[in-house]
Amino acid sequence: MTSRTRVYKTEGVILRRRNLGEADSVFTVFSPGAGKFEAVARGVRKARSRMRGHLEPLTRTELLIARGRSLDVFTQAETIEAYRPLREDLDRSALAIYVAELIDRFTIEHAENPGLYELLLATFDALAAGAPAHVVRFFELHLLALTGFELQVDACASCGDRLPPADTLLAPSAGGLVCVACRAAAGTGRIVPVAGIKVLRYARGCGIDQFAALRIDPDLARLLQGALTDVIQHVLEREVVSRRHLDEVARLSRASIPNPGQDVQ
Amino acid sequence: MAEPMAGTPEPITRLIDAFHKLPGIGPKSAQRLAYHILRAPAAEAEALATALRDVKERIALCSQCCNITERDPCSYCTDPRRDTTVVCVVEQPLDILALERAGGFRGRYHVLHGVLNPMDGIGPEHLHIRELLKRLESGEVTEVIMATNPSLEGEATAMYLHRLTGPLGVRVTRLARGLPSGADLEYTDDVTLSRALEGRQAF
Ligand SMILES: [Zn+2]
Ligand SMILES: [Zn+2]
Repeated sequence: MTSRTRVYKTEGVILRRRNLGEADSVFTVFSPGAGKFEAVARGVRKARSRMRGHLEPLTRTELLIARGRSLDVFTQAETIEAYRPLREDLDRSALAIYVAELIDRFTIEHAENPGLYELLLATFDALAAGAPAHVVRFFELHLLALTGFELQVDACASCGDRLPPADTLLAPSAGGLVCVACRAAAGTGRIVPVAGIKVLRYARGCGIDQFAALRIDPDLARLLQGALTDVIQHVLEREVVSRRHLDEVARLSRASIPNPGQDVQ
Repeated sequence: MAEPMAGTPEPITRLIDAFHKLPGIGPKSAQRLAYHILRAPAAEAEALATALRDVKERIALCSQCCNITERDPCSYCTDPRRDTTVVCVVEQPLDILALERAGGFRGRYHVLHGVLNPMDGIGPEHLHIRELLKRLESGEVTEVIMATNPSLEGEATAMYLHRLTGPLGVRVTRLARGLPSGADLEYTDDVTLSRALEGRQAF
């Protein structure tokens, strides 16, 4: 795609929306070929807008976009996949919003990353199909790898030594697991048991559906969630805002369902 | 950008700044409005100033439904002909006007003053949810109608409130979602279309 093209066509996932003026909205889109970009939809907040429903966040949409002087403008939008199950279930909706925010935070504008786009679609597909919440760990691990922050889980992230099969520290500032000798210098982190290390290693080589089918003990799932949250916040140097909603929703479901089973992280 | 020219008297730049802070008003519009006020008769400017002051001094939130009102409780909450057992939850005060115009609803309202927006950090504490829970805990309400918009955030808010109010045993319903009148099938998005199909009715 050359910068002289006046109109271009791409598919993309709508990550977020902000209102502009009386009736317009600016949407952040993540696309396979053009990476993340912003464009404005004129009049999209009017009831009669033809594009409105096709630009809802979390929608996979086919887009026609005209280059504008300051902001590009959507001229057509047609849903490819609406991911309805992600909108109509509180837990899945919270997870999908969190995934979308991470894509937004880990990408810079106009840097293509088709592998990351595939990962996003696979994650939404899995969540929409009812995969347990722990598939988001698969997403996080591959997101880190695809954006240059791969978590070191094979050998010590500090000295490269072999790791014995034992409880091991996962230190965000070291970028992965660290051996006992390096622990003191590696800063804070969480101790991950052998079963957890196996899950982290398994995620690298398996497909998302295989990972979704794993049975993970709720306590371990919670520990891995916390450990990866620490890593992500360390990389981003800031809080992931939608994490609060996710935690609040999980708290409510624990409070209201006596046996939450596998669905709770 | 329409930066005010150097040497613009301070009261004018202050007015421009104030207009610029309003939603949907860019720097150019702010400047145009400010100079309009400057040229307008004193009475017109005075009326605007009074209206602005009154809206902040005389309008408050209804202590029951959180609707904006001049008298607390508001007219909907004090109307004896309205059903006190059904509460319709809306995002904004303007939504009440739309529902009233449509007619047909004779229960009470509750205004959230927004929706959950997880990515922007708008959480339950930013909405008037605590007031809603208090009303429901009193036991008089038997049905809550979620009338938030069918957007991602509106749905998330409705589902969140549904789960939050679950332990109270109140029946929670959602407005049926279908095609807006005048909609063109060809351009209707899949979610709206499939929901409209599910909500179809016999002739
Ligand atoms: Zn080491
Ligand atoms: Zn009231």
